[in-house]
Amino acid sequence: MNAFLLYVLLLKATCTSFSGVTSLPVVRHDLVERYGVLTDRQLNAAVAAGRTAPGPNGLWVVSVGYFVAGVPGACAGWLAAITPAFLIVAMLRYLGRRADRPAVKSAIQCMTLAAAGLVIDATIPLARDALTGPVAVGIAAGSALFLAFTRYATVWVILGAALVGLLAS
Amino acid sequence: MRRLSLIYTRVSNLTFGGGDPTMAALQTELVARHGWLTPEKYGLVYALARITPGTNILAFCAGTAWELKGWPGAILAVLGASVPSAVAVVLLTAGYQAFQHNARAMAAIAGTLAAAVGMMAVSAWQLVRPHLRRRRALRAIVLVAASAYLAYAWHMPPIEILGLAALAGFFWRAPETA
Repeated sequence: MNAFLLYVLLLKATCTSFSGVTSLPVVRHDLVERYGVLTDRQLNAAVAAGRTAPGPNGLWVVSVGYFVAGVPGACAGWLAAITPAFLIVAMLRYLGRRADRPAVKSAIQCMTLAAAGLVIDATIPLARDALTGPVAVGIAAGSALFLAFTRYATVWVILGAALVGLLAS
Repeated sequence: MRRLSLIYTRVSNLTFGGGDPTMAALQTELVARHGWLTPEKYGLVYALARITPGTNILAFCAGTAWELKGWPGAILAVLGASVPSAVAVVLLTAGYQAFQHNARAMAAIAGTLAAAVGMMAVSAWQLVRPHLRRRRALRAIVLVAASAYLAYAWHMPPIEILGLAALAGFFWRAPETA
């Protein structure tokens, strides 16, 4: 896949999401199911890489781009991640305080809730690929509980999970 | 301009935990410490960043820097906030590819992939949790369940589901937005 098409597909995903991994269902639909240029395992690894690195979580699409097309793909992923950010300038100029309109707020709330449903759907194939035994299931459950109930940085969860995986092998 | 770029680069790339801790750190720098932005302007950019498609924190950086230094500021802020992290993501991904045939490395990587599944589940929960207050819970449960069902059972493309959800939002408002 050439870098420009990859950019367009990833931009479609980032432009229809409102936070880090909510673009994942669109990415999976296009790159895993439609074009077959990415595997579920690579998608899962991209999420882990994006959450391990410091900085914006939405940069996990850079990892997706790298998996699909190397460094040019990573550049396409990076451009797709940053392009929508500049829409805020138009919003500041023309929307201003009208962003508080109930209809606009309600539509965005509903899109966010639908995105949660899509993330659940996208997690199922990733779970099938990654949760291959009781240790992996324990790591997934432990990571979820740890992130839900503590305020430690994600990087500690990733490092802890890697250590448990290594010790259990 | 250089000082402003350095603030965005330092805060965005050295703060773990996602957008909210980073925006809080930038508030400290831009509003409290340097007084470059008024609290009202910060609040407006914060609100608009939440509804800008894509990564909220990058939109926030672009918006605050545009308010201060126009387009050059916005571009430099987004570059500073994203380039070092993007390089780190590429290095981590390259590391994954390089070690994927080493058994011990793969055992560690398998652990991180399992953790990523847990993270995804928590991400979904964190998106829903603010909407589960008593009078809004029904709408939240219906929308999450319907979108998961349409995607899983009907294989409806995500874009169409998100479009339907936006349409639903215009007609079915939560009590405080009605």
